[in-house]
Amino acid sequence: MGVAGGGRLRGSSGSKRQQRRRTMNNVKLTLLCGLMTVLVLRGTVGFNLLLNSGFVGGDAADAGAKAVDDIERILGEIRSDSEPDYGGLPDDDTDDAASNSTVHFTLPADASTWPYRNYSLGPRITQWDAMRQQWLSQNPAFPSVDARGNPRILLVTGSPPGPCDNAMGDHYLLKATKNKIDYCRLHGVDVVHNMAHLDPELTGYWSKIPLLRRLMLAHPEVEWVWWVDSDAIFTDMAFELPLHRYDGRNLVVHGYPDLLEKRSWISLNAGIFLLRNCQWSLDLLDAWVQMGPRGRVRDAAGRLLRASLTGRPEFAGDDQSALVYLLLTERERWIDKVHIETEFYLHGFWPGLVDRYEEMMAAHHPGLGDDRWPFITHFVGCKTCGRYEDYPLDRCLSSMERAFNFADNQVLRLYGFRHRSLASPKVRRVVDPRTNPLEAKEAALKMDAKFQ
Amino acid sequence: MSEQADRRARQQRLLRVPVVPVIFFLVAPCVLFLLTSPDLTLPRIRIEYGPHDNPCAPKNVPPPPPPPPLPPPPPPPLPPSAAVDVDIDEEQRLPPLRQLTDRPYSLGPAVSDYDARRARWLRDHPQFPAFVSPGRPRVLVVTGSSPRGCGGTTDGDHVLLRAFKNKVDYCRVHGFDVFYSNAVLDAEMSGFWTKLPLLRSLMLAHPEAELLWWVDSDVVFTDMLFEPPWGRYARHNLVLPGWDEKVYAAKSWLGVNAGSFVIRNCQWSLDLLDAWSRMGPRGPVRDSYGKVLAGALSDRPPYEADDQSALVYLLVTQRGRWGEKTFLESSYNLHGYWVGIVDRYEEMRRRWAPGLGDDRWPLVTHFVGCKPCGGQYASYDAARCRRGMERALNFADDQILRLYGFEHESLNTTAVRRIRNETGGPLDADDEELGRLLHPTFRAAAMPM
Repeated sequence: MGVAGGGRLRGSSGSKRQQRRRTMNNVKLTLLCGLMTVLVLRGTVGFNLLLNSGFVGGDAADAGAKAVDDIERILGEIRSDSEPDYGGLPDDDTDDAASNSTVHFTLPADASTWPYRNYSLGPRITQWDAMRQQWLSQNPAFPSVDARGNPRILLVTGSPPGPCDNAMGDHYLLKATKNKIDYCRLHGVDVVHNMAHLDPELTGYWSKIPLLRRLMLAHPEVEWVWWVDSDAIFTDMAFELPLHRYDGRNLVVHGYPDLLEKRSWISLNAGIFLLRNCQWSLDLLDAWVQMGPRGRVRDAAGRLLRASLTGRPEFAGDDQSALVYLLLTERERWIDKVHIETEFYLHGFWPGLVDRYEEMMAAHHPGLGDDRWPFITHFVGCKTCGRYEDYPLDRCLSSMERAFNFADNQVLRLYGFRHRSLASPKVRRVVDPRTNPLEAKEAALKMDAKFQ
Repeated sequence: MSEQADRRARQQRLLRVPVVPVIFFLVAPCVLFLLTSPDLTLPRIRIEYGPHDNPCAPKNVPPPPPPPPLPPPPPPPLPPSAAVDVDIDEEQRLPPLRQLTDRPYSLGPAVSDYDARRARWLRDHPQFPAFVSPGRPRVLVVTGSSPRGCGGTTDGDHVLLRAFKNKVDYCRVHGFDVFYSNAVLDAEMSGFWTKLPLLRSLMLAHPEAELLWWVDSDVVFTDMLFEPPWGRYARHNLVLPGWDEKVYAAKSWLGVNAGSFVIRNCQWSLDLLDAWSRMGPRGPVRDSYGKVLAGALSDRPPYEADDQSALVYLLVTQRGRWGEKTFLESSYNLHGYWVGIVDRYEEMRRRWAPGLGDDRWPLVTHFVGCKPCGGQYASYDAARCRRGMERALNFADDQILRLYGFEHESLNTTAVRRIRNETGGPLDADDEELGRLLHPTFRAAAMPM
């Protein structure tokens, strides 16, 4: 009786409970499906990174913002069609005309439309040339020419202060640094490898601007400051910069003057350049940095640069586009002192070079610096230190290994060794050990001798 | 029907536990964590760069003959300084091990008149003087690490990069050349023995280098201003950090440290390298010399021969030939054992100033027993080592950054802050002290008469 009654009681509230249970089951199912959706979205779209880029403050946000900046910039470089073709541009004119017609490039007559002009790198200096000459005359023990009579050069490079996301990234940074040290030891150039963020507003590729200013002011004896990106490898150890060609010029940068006329954002490469230690350069840095401070200024710069330069996609302002923009809008002020180098690979875009090293070794000899034996192989787009890259990571790493070994062969030649192959870190002896070592040194001092 | 009711009741009782809130409180934190963690990486499939020559090349090389079986290595207590490690599967591709009945190992053909040849070369090439200014010999700092990356989960490669930057900074300040070796020049001399063929090759190739200063990859220069007093060593050919009593009286293998030493470019040094390297070839030779060293030195177990013990053995057994020309330096920290140093940096900054080089402000902080690349032979806790290295590197980096008006916020962090505003002129215009540091007198060029 009680059981039946209980059953009936349960029966009447049983349906309500049943309903509640069913609702609960549905809710649980919904939550579970929602969780799985979130997981899948996170894995494919990576949208927690988009969340993080909105946060402010802290190194993690910096890294996140930088990663987003970098990936967008490089995606842009890849997506843009106006990649310079070394063999000649037969029909690019039509393409450019077509793209010109679709977007209006209202290049202002002067850059006064850029509203943010008051970012300061430090106290305004107007008499740097005189100050520098005075310092040099007061310190004759530190002349601006080195022991061999060449103008003193300071090579400046940098890398992030923390470990790379990828262990191989750090290993290749180490190798690239060794490569720069080898070149500089052979040519008597001092090296500064910077790992500190000097200005929290100028992050990422903008951090070189305050660094260059600091070093120019601290070392008046340095005639040329030479910025080289961390992903550049010196592949011609015998090539010496033809500094005599740059008398009267203050900025030497690799580029394509015809692309500059077409306002292409990749007409110059701001990853490797020489800057003379003088008042003009300080003024250039002051003008250049105005598009750099992160946040609103850099985003506005990105939009202006996208509208003004051909082929540039939408992303936050970068130093290379800003330099191109500056040279186009304030032409009379800057262009006379800029030398756009085209005769040797002050910047050598790597995909067209890394597979040809063996034929270069067979047909040519070091010391040429141009397409036959590139001076610098620059791994743009291979962000081996970051998490995102535009080329497959293994292709980047194996190409960097090849470039590094190609350069290292030119150094090890002095000691009688060579890498077994361009892909192998192992070396073997190539000089007969019975020869007089000091005579072998004589032969090896000719760094531009052909490889046997 | 009552049974069904019972069953339903049982089911209902089983479900009495509030399942939904429990699941919600478990699931919600997970979701929040996944959404908000910035550096959680999902595993992804990608091709790892492996230690093979060319992973795509067809494998048409005939398999090498099986190598003679290696005796299992005894657990080695703390080899003091190891700059390079060798991959295990490389053993199969290397030449067969040198046996005790083979000819003793030699670094190269014996050279007998090297001093005369070198002097002649220097005379013929006056543009490469061996002394950059009176009393200052040309110094080549030599260091290196394994050609393979550290890889793995440690940030060993990053530490190696920072340590290399530290050496580059020291050499720039003092005008030394630096050579970083990434290659194993002789497969027989593996591990910490790789420095011997490297030093010989560099000596022969650079007659203009008067002194070669070998530093391990785990050495950090912590006094940027101090330079060893070269004049003191004018009559010696090898400068080792160590103590006479510990080497000659106590015959201890820890009497010197072979991780940071200066060797002159001359005939004597080539002979020393030859005698030293005989104990190095991997395999039976190294093992049996290990036993010899254990017998001759007081506190060394009989594991395979290492370069430091071998050097002490040479000094002790042939004191007349080698010991006379070796200077055991203990007046400043040419080698500084890191354990006693890394916690004292703040105190050093309060009480002393750079330029001392000794215990008050050590020239070198040497992380013996810490393997930056990880590995099984580390004798200290990896986290403690890593923290110590970070502090040492930041302490040294501060001495450089100060020249430009910055410093690290603390010794434990890489973030920097400005400490001095720009003056609007050359950075040392108003500050004598800063001027002396930015443009030290030992970098001054010889003035034309």
